[in-house]
Amino acid sequence: MGSVDLLSLVQSGFTGETVLACLEVSKMQGWVRTTRYLAIISKSGSSAFFVLTSTRVPPISPADVSVEGIVPIDSNFKFELDTETQHEDGHDLYLSVSSNKSKLLFEMMPSSKSNAFVGELYKAVDNVVRKSGPLEYNWLNRYPPVIRHDCSDNGLKEEVQDSVVDSPDSLSLPRESIAKGSTPIAARESVIRYMMSKKEDQYMYKQSFRIFVGTWNVNGQSPTADLTEWLSCDVDPPDIYAIGFQELDLSTEAFLFNDTPRENEWYKAVVSGLHNGAKYTRVKLVRLVGMMLVVFVQEKLRQYVTGVACDTVGTGIMGKMGNKGGVGVRLDFHSTSICFVNAHLAAHVEEYERRNQDYRDIYSRMCFSSHHPPKTIKDHDHIYWLGDLNYRITEIDPKYVKDCVERDSFQKVLEYDQLIKQCRAQTVFVGFKEGSITFKPTYKYDTGTDNWDSSEKNRAPAWCDRILWKGESIEQIEYRSHPFLKISDHKPVSSLFDAKVRIIDAVKYRKIHEEVMKKLDKLENEFLPQVTVETTEITFDTVQFLVPQSKNLIIANTGQVPVKFEFIKKLDDPYYCKDWLNIEPYLGDVIPGEKCEVKVEVRVDKKSAYKLNSGQDQLYDILVLHLEGGKDIFITVSGNYERSCFGTSLETLASIKEPIREISLGSIIDKEKKKDSFSSGEGTYAVPKEVWFLVDHLYRHGTKAKHLFVQPGLHSEIYDIRDWLDNGSQESLPGSVYSVAEALLLLFESCPEPVIPYEMHTACLNCASNFMQCKQIIQGLTYHRKNVFIYLCSFLRELLSHSDDNGLDTKTLAALFGGIFMRDKPVPRDVSKPRSSQQQLDRKKSIFIYHFLVNDYPDLLPPLVSS
Amino acid sequence: MANKAGPQRPNGTAQAKICQFKLVLLGESAVGKSSLVLRFVKGQFHEYQESTIGAAFLTQTVCLDDTTVKFEIWDTAGQERYHSLAPMYYRGAQAAIVVYDVTNQDTFGRAKTWVKELQRQASPNIVIALAGNKADLANKRCVEYEEAQAYAEENGLLFMETSAKTGTNVNEIFLAIAKKLPKSETIGGSGSGQGRRLVESDTTAKTSTSCCK
Repeated sequence: MGSVDLLSLVQSGFTGETVLACLEVSKMQGWVRTTRYLAIISKSGSSAFFVLTSTRVPPISPADVSVEGIVPIDSNFKFELDTETQHEDGHDLYLSVSSNKSKLLFEMMPSSKSNAFVGELYKAVDNVVRKSGPLEYNWLNRYPPVIRHDCSDNGLKEEVQDSVVDSPDSLSLPRESIAKGSTPIAARESVIRYMMSKKEDQYMYKQSFRIFVGTWNVNGQSPTADLTEWLSCDVDPPDIYAIGFQELDLSTEAFLFNDTPRENEWYKAVVSGLHNGAKYTRVKLVRLVGMMLVVFVQEKLRQYVTGVACDTVGTGIMGKMGNKGGVGVRLDFHSTSICFVNAHLAAHVEEYERRNQDYRDIYSRMCFSSHHPPKTIKDHDHIYWLGDLNYRITEIDPKYVKDCVERDSFQKVLEYDQLIKQCRAQTVFVGFKEGSITFKPTYKYDTGTDNWDSSEKNRAPAWCDRILWKGESIEQIEYRSHPFLKISDHKPVSSLFDAKVRIIDAVKYRKIHEEVMKKLDKLENEFLPQVTVETTEITFDTVQFLVPQSKNLIIANTGQVPVKFEFIKKLDDPYYCKDWLNIEPYLGDVIPGEKCEVKVEVRVDKKSAYKLNSGQDQLYDILVLHLEGGKDIFITVSGNYERSCFGTSLETLASIKEPIREISLGSIIDKEKKKDSFSSGEGTYAVPKEVWFLVDHLYRHGTKAKHLFVQPGLHSEIYDIRDWLDNGSQESLPGSVYSVAEALLLLFESCPEPVIPYEMHTACLNCASNFMQCKQIIQGLTYHRKNVFIYLCSFLRELLSHSDDNGLDTKTLAALFGGIFMRDKPVPRDVSKPRSSQQQLDRKKSIFIYHFLVNDYPDLLPPLVSS
Repeated sequence: MANKAGPQRPNGTAQAKICQFKLVLLGESAVGKSSLVLRFVKGQFHEYQESTIGAAFLTQTVCLDDTTVKFEIWDTAGQERYHSLAPMYYRGAQAAIVVYDVTNQDTFGRAKTWVKELQRQASPNIVIALAGNKADLANKRCVEYEEAQAYAEENGLLFMETSAKTGTNVNEIFLAIAKKLPKSETIGGSGSGQGRRLVESDTTAKTSTSCCK
């Protein structure tokens, strides 16, 4: 897939943003490489570095691509190119990207695409530096908020970027890690490839095919001769033809504009010269100025030819013009990759060093970039190199050369062949083979004859036109020249090869592929995290208000891999457990064979009591224990809650004459539903009897107690007081006055709403400095609330009248009861309010209450309060 | 040296593509969801398969002609009290197998309500298969093949009667799902071919922005 395609594919997935650049890379995590796609995406002036994964490599549809990570390109963003650490191929380029503490490492193939990508990256970073105002990155928030990366250097997991992770519910995002631990698909693909390549001999076999390779420097002539003499001189038709020409056209026109009528003329001549024992189809034709290479295959074999590509390399003037150089065609035939190169190397007798250099240039520069990754000549199983390589016979008398070759005594002369000498010295064509030469030199003749060049230069004839090969299982059958073709100053050369090509047995391949898959599945499933818990039902018997109970859940790792467990929240739930539950620890790691003890504590406190009392909630919760990369286990927690006056509304309490336990749950639920209708006070107590019991007790026994309300009570005594209130008793109220005082505060705190309802708080705070207005607010309270408020304030004034004994002062009580009467709305767990604003609120609340502790307000006194 | 890219497919095209799909099993408890998965993934059958309390997770690959389909299988708890947790698993799933027990009419009714729930709540492109399990217990049959077949047809479901015990139609039903799942770019839509991370944001972001389409 080309970069343009990738870019537009990715772009179509990002409708509101602009994708500036896109590149396929390998993400490096230790020694593991996985395919990723990088994109630089911008919106509203800012840009970000996206790491994308694909379910398919390469992606075919935008739906294949998903976002794995985002690093905003801001002032923290840094990247580095590392060209030093070169891979064994010497071709790889490393890109490391860092932001805050995280660091990512990618490997990319240097190419024009990677250059363009890096260029965009520089621009984006530059943009951040040049912008003076703060850049807007909010558009990134719509992408999945939790993005983690393995830190490439230490393997620790870290958030990529705070601004992306900071979304409010990121801590409890539920399914982030489900099954993430299973092998990423790209990694799996490379494992499959590796395992399949190890088993190649089980599904591959080799079959021999005949390949005809021909080369001819035609010296700019037109094809006036019949080429069958050259191309179909053998009995059997070859399976593949690769035919190369040099100096197809020597005109300036061809040289400057790479345009020539000769191409078509010679092509037609070739086609009519092909062996008539088979039907051929053209695979590819490539030409650079005078160098042309055309590849044919028998029609019936065409279906096995894939991945056809070509490239040209000019090595002429300025190292790039096409008067010299090479053209190449590559293809896959069955499962063997084949490359044909037709070259015309530098001329002139003494210039063998230039020829060596031309060879090296062609070898390294020829690149079939439509392949992914791009292929060079060396990446092929079979390479055939043909052409006018221009190596000469030197350091020997031309006359002697001619004499020898006339006697077909080539061996002596070949000792002086530059190509053979250079090959021996390993300066050129390393690893290539050439058959022994048993034909006369192919250059230079007087055109139209078999006579050696008669010009005054008097050069030695030479084997300029050669065919070499590289690769296993290639056997040369013929290596010859075709002297009957006389239209050029060169003679054509050809070689026949029997090349063994690897073929996949489709049935066996499929079977082995499935076996490999099965094996991987098995491995993957074996290495899934596994734990056992001793129970999935945690049952608490009777749970009482404020009394904590806990049970332990033992999570034992019975699998083969370390387990990361976490209690995760259910869909649409704000938290992973209900508020009367506490799990410690709620996440953790367990190594194989080890256990982790998790404490499950149930404690109904002032926050959760009301919902349980009023039937809105039950002591029942299903916890989802998730193993990262594996299964979930459901743990059911249940218990019986013993209802209590704590956590019951003032109205309901006032309407109950009996102790609360003597009333059925149903009737409490009923009363809670109808509590607004009690506001007239008819048929109810003026204040809840529980409030009266506690206050009256304090009135009688505690007015002189030192620091009443300030000194804490005892838990056990408070539980006793709770039972006394809930069950009723003939005995006197148990516990010290301090415990009674604390129970009173707790009773108010656990009411579903404070004495002054939430919606009136703002008004109270706004008029806190004005007693008249404060009184009006109290006047506006519902019947029971007004009674409770005035009753309590009257009692507090009574307490203050004994301040010499109890040491209490107005400010302390005002502050304490300000917080009780106007308690703040509960905030979700883990959220804290700024302290300064809270202090201001508290101060105003205490001012509000203060008025009622120092002033008389006979106008407010309701008729029903008894003293 | 050469051939780094590894072998190619016999027909000469590049290595088969791998598609990954999330598949969820739903149905009344004790109809054989876990047994079906166990038969499919490990080729095993246990007469007394433990009740699943949670959601088991396994993976299994199926090879088609041109593609390889990797299933991430979530085998859910069937007990009614865990019903409210099911959306965690079918949300974002590309495929579902709703299982009933051919010897128990109630489980077929329950299967129908699962299908309804999926049609209402799951991804609109979800491929749903209906599996009438325990087909080996023919003499105790309560749900007729034709009845279920007609219901499946009406609702566009794949349908097979299966037996985790004998293995009948177990691979076949997964294979049929694999074949029916969209694997080309012609099918987009929320959740298809997606990693589950993006699916999570489906609820907040529009589908068109939550995934790279």
